[in-house]
Amino acid sequence: MSLFRNPSEEPLWKDEFSVFTSDERYVTRRQFTKFLTLASLGMFVGNLWILLKSRFAKTPAFPTIEVAELNEIPVRGVKLFNYPTSQDHCIMIRTSEEEYVAYSQKCTHLSCAVYYSAKNDRLECPCHQGFFSVKDGSVLQGPPPRPLPQITLEREGTKLVAIAVKGT
Amino acid sequence: MDGYEFYVDPSRCIGCQSCVNACAECETHRGQSMINFDFIDRPGTTATAAYVCWHCEEPTCAMVCPADAIKKGDDGIVHSSLKPRCIGCSNCVLACPFGIPKIFPEYEQMMKCDMCYDRTSVGKKPMCATVCPSQALSYVRSDEIAKRREKPTNVFQFGNQRIVTNVYMMVPAQTDALSLDVLDYLWEESYVPFSQPQ
Amino acid sequence: MAKAPASTESLLDSFGPHPAYVPPGGWQDESRNPAERLVKTHCCFCGQQCGIQLKVRGNQVIGFEPWEEFPFNHGMLCPKGVKRYMQGGHPDRLLDPLMRTTQGFRKASWDESLNFTVKRLKETQEKYGKDSVAIYGGASLISEKSYLLGKFARVALGTRHIDYNGRLCMVSAGTAYKLAFGVDRSPLPWSDILKAQVVLVAGANVAECAPITTDYLWRCRDAGGKLIIVDPRMTPICRNADMYLPVRPGTDMALYMGLLHVILRDGLERCDFISKYTTGFDQVSESVRAWDPRTAGEKTGVPPEAIERAAQLFAKADRAIVLHARGVEHQSKGVENCLALINLCLATGNLGREGAGCAMITGQGNGQGGREHGQKCDQLPGQRSISDPEARAHTAKVWGITSEEIPQAGYTAVEIMEAIHRGEIKALLSCCFNPLVSLPDSKFTQEALEKLEFFGVVDFFMSETAHHADVILAGSLQEEEEGIGCTNEGRVIHIQKAVDPPGNAKGDSWIYVELAKRLGKGKYFPYNSTKEIYEELREASRGGHADYFGITYEKIDKNMGIFWPCPTLDHPGTPRLFEDGRSFHPDGKHHFVVTEWRESGDPVSEEFPIYLTTGRVVSQYLSGTQTRRIGALVDQYPNPRLEIHPRLAEQYQIKDGDWVAITSRRNEITLQAMVVKTIRPDTVFIPYHWAGERSANKLTHRTLDPRSKIPEFKVSACQLRKADVPPDWAIVANGHESKGGDKSNGRLRILR
Repeated sequence: MSLFRNPSEEPLWKDEFSVFTSDERYVTRRQFTKFLTLASLGMFVGNLWILLKSRFAKTPAFPTIEVAELNEIPVRGVKLFNYPTSQDHCIMIRTSEEEYVAYSQKCTHLSCAVYYSAKNDRLECPCHQGFFSVKDGSVLQGPPPRPLPQITLEREGTKLVAIAVKGT
Repeated sequence: MDGYEFYVDPSRCIGCQSCVNACAECETHRGQSMINFDFIDRPGTTATAAYVCWHCEEPTCAMVCPADAIKKGDDGIVHSSLKPRCIGCSNCVLACPFGIPKIFPEYEQMMKCDMCYDRTSVGKKPMCATVCPSQALSYVRSDEIAKRREKPTNVFQFGNQRIVTNVYMMVPAQTDALSLDVLDYLWEESYVPFSQPQ
Repeated sequence: MAKAPASTESLLDSFGPHPAYVPPGGWQDESRNPAERLVKTHCCFCGQQCGIQLKVRGNQVIGFEPWEEFPFNHGMLCPKGVKRYMQGGHPDRLLDPLMRTTQGFRKASWDESLNFTVKRLKETQEKYGKDSVAIYGGASLISEKSYLLGKFARVALGTRHIDYNGRLCMVSAGTAYKLAFGVDRSPLPWSDILKAQVVLVAGANVAECAPITTDYLWRCRDAGGKLIIVDPRMTPICRNADMYLPVRPGTDMALYMGLLHVILRDGLERCDFISKYTTGFDQVSESVRAWDPRTAGEKTGVPPEAIERAAQLFAKADRAIVLHARGVEHQSKGVENCLALINLCLATGNLGREGAGCAMITGQGNGQGGREHGQKCDQLPGQRSISDPEARAHTAKVWGITSEEIPQAGYTAVEIMEAIHRGEIKALLSCCFNPLVSLPDSKFTQEALEKLEFFGVVDFFMSETAHHADVILAGSLQEEEEGIGCTNEGRVIHIQKAVDPPGNAKGDSWIYVELAKRLGKGKYFPYNSTKEIYEELREASRGGHADYFGITYEKIDKNMGIFWPCPTLDHPGTPRLFEDGRSFHPDGKHHFVVTEWRESGDPVSEEFPIYLTTGRVVSQYLSGTQTRRIGALVDQYPNPRLEIHPRLAEQYQIKDGDWVAITSRRNEITLQAMVVKTIRPDTVFIPYHWAGERSANKLTHRTLDPRSKIPEFKVSACQLRKADVPPDWAIVANGHESKGGDKSNGRLRILR
């Protein structure tokens, strides 16, 4: 069975509706049913594979990246950094003397960069007035559908390092 | 069947209609005969002619069928219309240059000779050629036909259209192709036969 | 009294003919219930006896298949052969014996009907003498049955009156060949036609009556042969004739004498052949002296130049064949016409060699076999003469009686009917014969039948004649009994039994054996099967001209038929006769026989100025009892048409399709005209296969050839008159609208 039509002077309809039985490309019911069954089976197997893959997949390893020095920013101060790759912009806020929080800067609505409003003590998105809580990144108001992913920080000596992303 | 061809010789026909009756016996078409039989001009002559489908190389009937109901197989046989597809539109009846297909309005189906496919596909001879008492219709090897005075041809010229068939017509020995346009017999130099339309 | 017990219309309504269109079981039957076996046998119709295979399932014939190996026809068939299988399982088939009541017929048991038949036959013979009973047989019966009938008439009944419907067919040729050669058989096998250089076809409508012979003629032409056709009509083979001679009806003898005149005048005869192998040449030579081409031309209507040319063509060929059939034989000069043709062959030395000779085309299925073994009123088995003392002695020995007990010759078929008419014969037992349709002058036949005191019929359909019967014994079709027949070539063939008779119908041979037993002559008929009859036939024919002694069923099967004479079991048969130059006469010579001109028995006159000739069409067979019951054959040519030339038609303002009343000296019928140029302008033609008001034999006359007693069907005189209204039968006939088209006048009209 040829898939491609040889170039010829004959008009297309003569090939498409050829009167010669040797040109016919009939599919029998049996062939079609086989095809349907195999395709369904293939799709089932594919889905199964995806399921198994997600079940038994290892948790992804995140890099450890130095973010800042210990007293680098004041209380209610902000530092922007990139974690885990240079394309992922994040924001760190010193909420008190001892407490630092960090979130992905991409608003979960339409990916605008959120900023820290010290006056309102919350993360605000300038695009559509979406506000996030500084405490856990949850949505206080506005269109964002999900909380901001939180960056896990750790103190290593005098440095603050980011070690994981939670709630991608 | 290998080596066998179908030959039609109307000059031998005696009008007994044995072919018509034998063809009608096939239960594929249940009592309807697929032979085209004519008295040429009974008031003037006893001449008769019986024709089967000519099974053209490029069957005009199949080309014009809007339902793609007529198929030609690799063995050269042009089959009768496929029952599920034929819509009884008579396009093929009008298109065939030889006037072979017949419309049966009660079945809304075209039926025509299929060279007794139920017989020829298993190595038997077509019924009409087997029973014809004058062998006006014959299904023989070419060496049998060579014994006749006439010679077979399968090229017909209908004006500009050249039709090559699988069934042979017996013609006088000096004829190569059978021309069916009166213009081809005229003595006029301005008309050039066999030219393609512009 | 043998007047029909009910009106013709009601009998036709009850018993047919009703045309059958669909095979038994329907069109799709074949694929759902395929045939169980194929029986190789022969066609039940004409003398060509084409090989055919019948498809059988259970006890029914359901179809046919060509038999390509049989050498005569190589699988070819005519439309009657193609459709013959439709007779089996036909609704009109008689399944029980019937006996007459005051209102019609009722079914009866075999005992009742056989005993009644025997009682009435005995009573008639006791009251009026042995010869008051007559037996009619037929030429479609296998040879065993025709032999049985001959023995039945002479031994069981002791009557001398037995004859058969072949009296209407082959007797002119038979008598002529016996006079000339001493034996009645086609002297050459059909394969000789292929080797001839000239074939003269005289009075034979080969295309419609013997279609398979057409292929032989065409192949003869392919090899360079020339065809001369003599016929008042242009039949389909005339298209390819090298010469066509339109002879006036009844004048054939003059034509052939004219041809011989030219041959002798120009010295083209073969003197060495004549002097070596023949006698009587001088008298014949003298007798044709007066028939110069001009005289012959005036008598026959054939141009003198054509006579000259035909004679030259025929005589100058090294190998020439004459084929003739009823056209020349159905005349009161039938024997002489054949003798004139034989004289031509003898004068030119065309006999006993490959590709040369003279042959009759036997018309009926077993017309050859049926005229060999005693079914004729003057014949004993082996083609012996009933008056020959040696023949009588031999036959009597085989039959177990004394030769004095064998009666002398009786009346022939038409003479039997005349004897019935004048009251000499009082009872008739008929098988395979439909005289009301096939004998000439059907009004006379009807009057005669009505005078019969007892009329018994053995048949498988109710024929028109059987309407007059007192008892009808349900007999068998050809495929229901095994036996042999003899084809037109002289080839003895084997008819196989395919099925048993259906219902309560019985084999014809069983019926006659039972009748013989009940007549007290059972010991002479100790047969349980047709094969036993054949064994006796072999013995009875031994030593006669038609010697079958060396032929057995197995030998026939192995050799695709054996040509008689075949005197011993190791003899291969005799395809060609006279190869040694000897005839079957005691003197061993072929006899030239003088033919003398006389006028026909019903000459044209001022009152009846037009020649009427009758004949056949390809789709019907004989009296139509069988073929008028097959729908496709009826549709091919539904009603008899009057063939008339335009020049004659315009004298009466007759156009194609007009109703014309044709009147002869005896009667009148009204038919539709078919205006065609393919007939002589002084002649009209009517096919005879129909009965009652459509019967051509209402018009024909009972003049017989004095020697062969064949009626003069081909030459009558008539007058024409345009009819104002169609006849009554046409209105009834059109009520049964046929499904196909009436193609007989060339304009195809689809009747839906």
